[in-house]
Order: sequence, then structure tokens, then C-alpha cells
Amino acid sequence: MTEDAILRVQDLQTHFFTRTGVVKAVDGISFELKRGETLGIVGESGSGKSMTAWSILGMVPHPGRIVGGSINYLGENLLEKSRGEMRDIRGSGICMVMQDPLTSLNPVFTVGDQLVETLRVEYNEPRRSLRDRAIRLLENVRIPAAEDRLTNFPHQMSGGMRQRVVGAISIARAPNLLIADEPTTSLDATIQLQYLRLLKDIQEQTGAAIIFITHDFGIVARMCDRVAVMYAGRIVEQSDVEDMFDRPAHPYTEALLESVPDLDTDVDMLPSIVGQPPSLDALPEGCSFAPRCPHAWDRCQVYPLEFTVAPGHVSRCWRVE
Amino acid sequence: MVTTVAETAGTAAVNGEHPLVRLESIRRHFPVFRGNLLRRRTGTVKAVDGISISIMPGETYSLVGESGCGKTTTSRLLLMADQPTEGNIYFDDRPMNQFSGAERRNFKASVQAVFQDPWSSLNPRMRVDQIVSEPLITHQRLSRSAVRAQVQELLQVVGLHPFHAERYPHEFSGGQRQRIAIARALSTRPKLIVLDEPVSALDVSIRAQILNLLKELQSTYELSYLLIAHNLATVRYMSHMVGVMYLGKIVEEAPPIELFTNAQHPYTRALISASLPAHPRRQREEIVLAGEVPSPLNPPTGCTFHPRCPFVMERCSLDIPVLTEYTPGHSTACHLYNEGDANTC
Repeated sequence: MTEDAILRVQDLQTHFFTRTGVVKAVDGISFELKRGETLGIVGESGSGKSMTAWSILGMVPHPGRIVGGSINYLGENLLEKSRGEMRDIRGSGICMVMQDPLTSLNPVFTVGDQLVETLRVEYNEPRRSLRDRAIRLLENVRIPAAEDRLTNFPHQMSGGMRQRVVGAISIARAPNLLIADEPTTSLDATIQLQYLRLLKDIQEQTGAAIIFITHDFGIVARMCDRVAVMYAGRIVEQSDVEDMFDRPAHPYTEALLESVPDLDTDVDMLPSIVGQPPSLDALPEGCSFAPRCPHAWDRCQVYPLEFTVAPGHVSRCWRVE
Repeated sequence: MVTTVAETAGTAAVNGEHPLVRLESIRRHFPVFRGNLLRRRTGTVKAVDGISISIMPGETYSLVGESGCGKTTTSRLLLMADQPTEGNIYFDDRPMNQFSGAERRNFKASVQAVFQDPWSSLNPRMRVDQIVSEPLITHQRLSRSAVRAQVQELLQVVGLHPFHAERYPHEFSGGQRQRIAIARALSTRPKLIVLDEPVSALDVSIRAQILNLLKELQSTYELSYLLIAHNLATVRYMSHMVGVMYLGKIVEEAPPIELFTNAQHPYTRALISASLPAHPRRQREEIVLAGEVPSPLNPPTGCTFHPRCPFVMERCSLDIPVLTEYTPGHSTACHLYNEGDANTC
């Protein structure tokens, strides 16, 4: 479609082959991402949002396998790459940024060592100049007295500093695409804000595109340009972020947006969604949201096609046909 | 005239009602030791450092603040899982440290808890009926059939089916497990339930169900809640009174609408500014806090927030600000609003 897309996922299917049957964790999703754009993939646990990220990185855990579709990154299909080629793309082209700075740094090496190790993969240069690059990276993520910090171990730094170091490592090889997978447990609000600001910072400096894997519409509202809502392995709605909040066109999105309490308004009772997310090995026939949907009718026995609500805004619901 | 909250604590009830639970100048300090053979005390962590709060019958009091600010320690004191170093807790106007054995048992039945993670808070080897009836059996002498009848009723009250009693926790989803935990907490007909992050481990689409259930139960049974939560929007939805904690102290206290529309303390304002917007066109003004929460082992002098405060003044590092009523029902501990200092700033 568009020329400047750096990532185009088409009809991606990642299935898990378990003893009890095939679990379709990702079941035919398509989206694309332009340079410098931020996409939010929103979903609950088991919606397939994290598996989408692992599929792009080529790291689908056993017994999962990508069984169909394509992942086009800068004009090349990642699914045709060898393991070695994928390893090279991870880190230099596509990079995962962990939210938790405590577990993603090695406690027994200094920050400088860990940065230089990453840089050595990319640049065949003497240690001195790698060290200079490391200092510049730390300065880029606004670490004061960067040169002195190189000899620090992670435990000597504060949580916010460590987060910056993780940020510096992830941009060390100038990636085009960052994937930020947010753990479900919540960080403190002020720490989360620091992390989000760091990512914006990195994006401004490198022009990288970002995919946010999240369950929180607040993060989407704060950070993203586009948003894809996943439910039971499929994207049920996709749109520009403002359009999604103004005119949600899928009952799931609509209900989800309504059921989240809002800090700026008062309500007596929140409208809640009945039932619970379906288990992927026992999906209902047809639309997987139908059992919880207040608007379900006979048509929902058949899985809805993708309908265009507005330019760039699609929804998989028969109501918008 | 400036009155400190400690002075007004006895008359905290605005509408003449008595608080169900009153914490008065509660401190909980943990000694820190170093060395094994030559063990010596090297410091004190002031996890809770002089807080006074009142929880009214049928109302929700929420504590907000970042991890390590003392919210959970406060709730543990209230659950009698821990003893305060100083200060006292009054339950129905009776001081906790003078409880008789019977009062103590009555108190323990009247105060229950629901925790964050229903995967680890329910014993995987117990059936649902055993989980729900355990506190009942501990606190009341009931025949087996009476227990069974009560369990059935409790399960229905929280929106589960009677046949769920025979099952084990792993057969349930997160939302249902939290319902089981709530049924268990309700079994002794408590007056107060401590809710420690009751929905943050649940899927987004079922959080509203659980929050609504808790609200319904509150109005049906006149329950009081002590809610501990990260998410300020949840706090606004659930609470009647909110206390903002920073390093073991309450720095601001107000009813939720007042607090979230008219926050005074710079820390509260920073917390609000860090919470995520509900709509992409309603971004918040960002208040950048310098640095991080300092170590409670070695807290800053004066106002413990002063090293990070954007409005820091000279006296902030010297004097400890007192929680002072700013408008009726709205107190804040900050030198910016202390009338006595109006001429100094």
C-alpha cells in the first residue's frame, strides 16, 4: 500500500500445537506501520497481543509456529529469513524494550561493558571509540555525567537511571522499530510516566516506529498514533487513535472504553462487560465476542468480515456493514 | 485559626457520625540491624510515621502513593497482622491495645481483607466451599448444614453459582477467583474490608464487574473499605475520602472530587499529572519530579518531599510541615499553604 511503511504484517497466523489440539493464538491479523509512527496493540491476556510481538521478532516459543501470512520488514519477508539473519535483525533493526529495568540488565557487568558489548556487534572499532559511542548514547538518554557512569554497576544506579540505560542499549544499533511489551502488573504512575517519556525521547532522536503491546487504553491515548484492538487472536478494530476514542465501531472497544473509570468525570455505576474473555481452545462459532456482546444477533454465527467505517478505520462487526 | 488534624481527630466526624475505625498518630518503625555476631542497630525505617485517619461506617477510605510509601504497612496494622510502634487504633471507639480476648476475636471477624492476586491468595488445594467457610468455622460455632447454607448464599451474593462450591480455584478465571476471595471476606459479616489493589491483576474487561460488585456489597451491607490502589481513576470511582501518602506520612487528604479537581500538595499534583488520560485530546500537563522516592532509611530533613518538589522553598528543608486543614474536609501538609507562612513566601 503505502511507500513509507517499514513493517507490513499480512494475515499472520501463529498457532500452538498442543496435545489437546491447535490453539490459534494469532489468527489472521494484518496491519502496517510507517516510519516514526506509534501503534498500540491493545488486548487482554490471551488476546494474542504478545504473541504478535514474538512473531515479529521470530521468537515464537515452542510448541508455537507461524503457519501462515507474511511479515514484511523494509521490503523483505521476515518469515523467509534464517535464524542467523533474524538474530541480526533483532537488535539492529527491530528491538524489544523491556519496561522493567531491574531484570533486563546484567548485575555483574558494568553499564559501560554492557553498552560496549552491544556496540561491538555493530561497529568494528577499537575499544576506545566504542567507549566514546557509549558515552554519547548515555548522553542521548539524558544521563548526567555519562562518562563517570560507565564504570557503574546496575545496582549503583537508581531505577530511573537503569531504565535510561536499558533505553540506551536498545537504541545502540539504531533500530527502525521498537517493540515495547508492557507487563500486566502496574508500575508506579510516576515511574511509568518516566518510561513513556524516555520512549518518546528515543523516538524523536532516532525516528524509530514503536509498537506498544498493552492492555491499557490510557497508554494508547497518551502515546499512540494508531491503535489495533485484539480479541481472541484477531484484530477486531483498527483506526487512528482519536477516531477510535471518538467513534468506537466494535462493541468490544466501545464497552471497554466505557468500563474504564475516568479520573476527570464522576459516574455512579460503571457499565461493565458481562462474562469473561474466552479461552482460545474453546472459541465460540462465529464472532468470538458474541457471547458477551449486547448487540449480538443471528449474523454473528458467522465470523464478521472487515468493514471500513471511515478512511483508515476498520472494524470486524456485522453492525457496521 | 489553623487547627492541626491531630487536634481535630476526635471530632473528625463532620456529620456527627462516629468513625468505625480511627487511627491516631500511628507510627510503625522497623529497626535495621547490621552484622551477625556483633549485631547492632544501624537505623530505622519509618514505614508509617504518624498518620491519623478515620474510616466512617459504610464509606471507602483510599490510600494512594507510590510503592514503599507505607500503604500496605498501614493495612497490616489495621488487620492486626502487625503492631504499631506508637499510637493507637480505635475500633468503635475502643482502643485496640486494650482489647479483651472476646473483643479481639470480634475485631478479627469484623475486619477482613481481599488481596491483589487471586492466583496466590487462594489455597490451590482447598475446594471453594472450604475456602469460603474457613473464616466462618474459625469465628462461629455452626452446624455443618448451616455452614453449607451460608456458603451457598455467599456464592450467590458475589455472583457465582452454588455448584461452584465443589470446585478448586484453578477451575476459575481471575475475575471469578476474586469473587471467591470476596465471598470469603464476607463470610464473617465484617464491618470493614481491606482491599489491597483488588482489580489491578485482573483483565481490563472484568475490572468494572468487580468494582461494581464491591460497590453494591458496600451499600447492601453498610461495609467500610480501606482501599489501596495505584490507579487514581479507580480511587475516584470507589472512595469517599482519599489520603495521599509519601514516605510514611499523609501529605494530603480530601474527598475524591475535591482532591482530583483541586489538589494542593505538589506531590498529589504530580501523581495526578502522571496518570494516563482517558482520551487522546485530554492530555495532562506534566509535572516533572526530580529524582526518585528517597530511601526511607535516610529520609530528607524537613518536608521529606522537598528534594523533588518543584516549588521548594528555604524552610522546606528545615521544618516538617503539619497536616493542616485547608478548606473544610481538605487537609494538606505543605508549607505553601500554611497560613502562618503567607508572608514568608
